[in-house]
Amino acid sequence: MDLSLTESQEMLKASARELVEREFSKDNLVKKDTNGGFQPSDWKKIADLGWAGLLIPDEFGGEGGSLTDAAVIFHELGRGPVPGPHFSSAVLGTLTVLEGATPEQKMSLLPRLAVGATVVLAPAITESDYGWSASQIQMKAAKRNGSYTLNGAKLFVQDAIGATHILCAARLGSGKIGLFIVDAKTPGVSLRPLPGFTTGVGEVRFDRVIIHESNLLGEGREDGWTILERTLQKAIPILCAYQVGGSEKVFEMSLEYANTRVQFGMVIGRFQRVQDHVIEQVNQLDAARWATYEALWKLDTGQPAAASVHMAKALASEAYYQVCNAAHEVHAGLGIMREYGLYLHTKMSRTLYHYLGDPKFHKRRLTNALEAQGVI
Amino acid sequence: MSKVGCRLTCPSFSPCGRRCRMRGETLWIRCFINAAYRAALILSLLSGARIEDGPSLSCPFTTLERLLFMDFELKFTPELEGFRKKVQDWLKANIPDGMENPADPVDLTLEGYNKQRALGRKMAELGWLYPTYPKEYGGGGLSDDEAIIIETELDRYDQLLPPYYDSGGKLAAATIMVWGTDEQKRAFLPPILTGKVRSWQLLTEPDAGSDLANVKTTAIRDGDHYVVNGQKIFVGSAHGAEWSWMIANTSPNGKRHENLSWFVLPMDLPGVTWTHMDLIFAGNESGALSGYKNTVYLENVRIPAFNLVGGENNGWKVAGTHLELEHGLMQGSLNGDRTLQKVFKVCRDLKREGRHLLEHDDVREELADLYIDSELTRLLHLRNYWMRSAKKPMTYEGPQAYLHMKRAALRTSKSLHKILGPYALTLDKERGLEDGHIEVQQRGGIVAQHPGGTVEIQKVIIARRLGIGRAVKEQAGVLR
Repeated sequence: MDLSLTESQEMLKASARELVEREFSKDNLVKKDTNGGFQPSDWKKIADLGWAGLLIPDEFGGEGGSLTDAAVIFHELGRGPVPGPHFSSAVLGTLTVLEGATPEQKMSLLPRLAVGATVVLAPAITESDYGWSASQIQMKAAKRNGSYTLNGAKLFVQDAIGATHILCAARLGSGKIGLFIVDAKTPGVSLRPLPGFTTGVGEVRFDRVIIHESNLLGEGREDGWTILERTLQKAIPILCAYQVGGSEKVFEMSLEYANTRVQFGMVIGRFQRVQDHVIEQVNQLDAARWATYEALWKLDTGQPAAASVHMAKALASEAYYQVCNAAHEVHAGLGIMREYGLYLHTKMSRTLYHYLGDPKFHKRRLTNALEAQGVI
Repeated sequence: MSKVGCRLTCPSFSPCGRRCRMRGETLWIRCFINAAYRAALILSLLSGARIEDGPSLSCPFTTLERLLFMDFELKFTPELEGFRKKVQDWLKANIPDGMENPADPVDLTLEGYNKQRALGRKMAELGWLYPTYPKEYGGGGLSDDEAIIIETELDRYDQLLPPYYDSGGKLAAATIMVWGTDEQKRAFLPPILTGKVRSWQLLTEPDAGSDLANVKTTAIRDGDHYVVNGQKIFVGSAHGAEWSWMIANTSPNGKRHENLSWFVLPMDLPGVTWTHMDLIFAGNESGALSGYKNTVYLENVRIPAFNLVGGENNGWKVAGTHLELEHGLMQGSLNGDRTLQKVFKVCRDLKREGRHLLEHDDVREELADLYIDSELTRLLHLRNYWMRSAKKPMTYEGPQAYLHMKRAALRTSKSLHKILGPYALTLDKERGLEDGHIEVQQRGGIVAQHPGGTVEIQKVIIARRLGIGRAVKEQAGVLR
C-alpha cells in the first residue's frame, strides 16, 4: 500500500498548479466571470499542455494517461476553479467516443480532440424533465433516407457555449437511445447561456436539424445509454477530483482568513465556533478525497468500482457544497464580495452538486450496486 | 508490503516520437518495457526485493515507478502469506472453544476471561502478543505487516490483539518506551508484553473529565515513596487488572500542566479499593468503548518512587503520548463497521408492510448512508496507517478518524432505529434481532461519544493541529 502520487503524477500536479496560479489567478477568474466568462483562448492554454488529449491513446495523438493522471490535473483545476470545457470535452466527451465510436469516427474525432482546438465536445443529455435516468430522455431522432432529423431542446448543458460539437442523446425509432455527434454550426442548432448563480450552463435547441446517419456514435448502435453509463463510471471520479480540489482551496482560504482576521482583539480562529466551521471543512474534504482516489485506483487497476464511484460522487458533491457554506460562515461579509472570489467556488459547488447526479441519486445507485455485488 | 516506491530505469529506450509536454519541453524518448522485463520486475517486487533508485531521466514516461498507480491495497509477499498460514493453523489448534464474543460481552465470565489471558501468554511465547515491540522487552520484534496479519486472523474469531483488552500494552507500553529509563523499561515492559500482567488506566476523575489536567488525586513524595490519595472513575474491566498507570498531582500549588506526574501503580497495594458503576451499557473487557466501569478509591497508597515515569511534574507531556494513541492513531478498524453485515441480513429477512425491508426506498437510502460511514471509517484508518508506516508527519489525522467514528456511531444508531423501529430496541431472545447486537448498538452508540475525549475535545485537538488561530501547528504526539 502506498497512497502517495507517483513521480510523474507529482510532476503533472506541479505543472498544473503552476498553470492555474499563473493564468487563472483569482483576480483573473473574477475578471473573466464578469466579462462574458471563459474564452476559447483560455482553453488553448490548457490544450497546449497536452491535457486535452490526456486520456486519448498514443495512436490517436494523445498522452495515453490513466484516469488518476487526469484526476491529478482536475484536482488542480478545481482549485481555481478554472471553468471551461476541459471536463466536458477532454473527459466525458472523449471517453464516450473511446467507448462507443467506430474506428472511422475515432480516427476523425480523437486526433482533433487531442489538440483541443478543432473539436470541443459538449455532451447534451438532460431535458426539461431534469434528471439522469434514461427514462427522462424524450427528444426524438427520426430517420429518413440515411439522415436523422433532431427536434427538441437540451437543458443545463455544461460548456455548450464554445463547443464546436454537441454529443446529443435522443430516442431512435425503436425507442432506444442513440448518441449523435452534431456540429454546432449545423443549420437549426442554436446555443444560449443560462444566466444565474451557476457556471458554464447553457441550452441547446435543435430545430429540425438534419444530420447524416454517419453522425450516430458507433454507426447504427442503439445502445447509446449503455455507452454513456459505462463512460460515466470512468468520468465521474475525475469530476469528483475537481470538486475535491475546489474544496481543498476553499478550506485553505478559510483557515488563512481565520488566522488573520482580528475581532474582539484576537484572530477569529481562537473562537471555537469559528474552528468548528474549519474542522467541518477538513472532514468533508478528506472524506471526499480518499473516496475519490480509491475509486480511481479501482478503475485504473480494473477492479469492480461501481459502489466506490457512486460513493465518491455523493461525498464530493456534498463536500464542495458544505465546504463553501462553511467558508461563508467564516468569511461573513467579505465572502460575498465578488472581488474576493470565494463566490466563484460557491457557484461552482452549486453547479456541480447535481451535475451527473446529486448525492441522493448516487446513494440510490450505491445501494443498487452493493446489491449487484452481493454485498447486501 | 515491500518497498515498491522504487524508480526503475527501463533498460532499453530509444527515440519514439511521443511528444512529452511535461513542463513544456519536447522530448523524443520511448520506453520499451517488454513483457518479460515487466514480469521479472513484478516477481522480484512481490518476493520482497528492495530495488534501489536507479538514475532517473527527465521524462517520467521512461521510468516505471511502483506499478504506475497510487495503491490502496494491503499487499503481502509470499513469505508473509506463509506467515498468515502459520498463524491460522496455530489459532485453529489453540483457540479455546466458545471464545467468540457474545453480543453483550458483560457475559464474559471469569472463566472466559482467564481463557483469554492464557491464550495471550501462549501467544507471547511466539512473540505474537505484542508483535512489534523489541524482543529484549518480551515483544516479538516483528513488522507492522506481521502484526496486521495476526490481528486480522484473530478478528475472524471475534478476538482482539491481545485477546483481553490491555491498556497497559496498548497505551502504556508505548509511553514507557518513549519516557522510561532503561531500568524502568526492563522492570515494567516484560511483564506486560509477555501477558503476565494486565493493566488499566487511571485518568478520569469526578472533576477531571474533558479537563484532564484538573486531576485532584495527589501523590506526595515521602522518602522513597509517593503517598497517593484520591478517586478515579470510569475505570474499565469487570475482572480487574494487576497494574494501573495514572496521572496524579505531585505539586498541588504548582502551575497547571506543570504539576502532574505519571506513575505505574500495582493494584494490590494497600489502600486501593474498587466499586462497580451502574451504567446503561454493561460492556465488557474489550477496551475503552466497553461500558463496564468502576470507581477506584486510593487511600494513603504508597507507590515506590521508582514507578514515576518521565520525571516529577512532567506527567502532562508523558500522558500526551498515550492520549495520542487513544485518539485514533492506532485505534479502530481497517474493516469498517462490523455491525453492517448483520444489518444487511436483517433487511433481507425482515418484512414491513408485506415487503422485505430491502424493497423500501427509505431503507435503501439509510443503507447507503450506513455503508458510506463504514467505508469512511476504513479509509481514514487506512490513510493513518499508511502515514504512520511511511513515517509521514501527522497532525490532525488521528483525532479526525476518532471524531468520525464517534459521529458515525450515533448516526448508525438513528439509522437502525428508523429502519427497524421497535425491533432495534429489544434484546428479547425471541423477538430481538441478531442475538441482541442491534439493541446493544443503540446503547453503544451513545457510550462511544465520550471515551478518549468527547466530540468537542476531538475538535479542540484538531483545531490545534490544523493551527486554527495559532501561529504554530501542533504536531501529533511522539510515538515509537
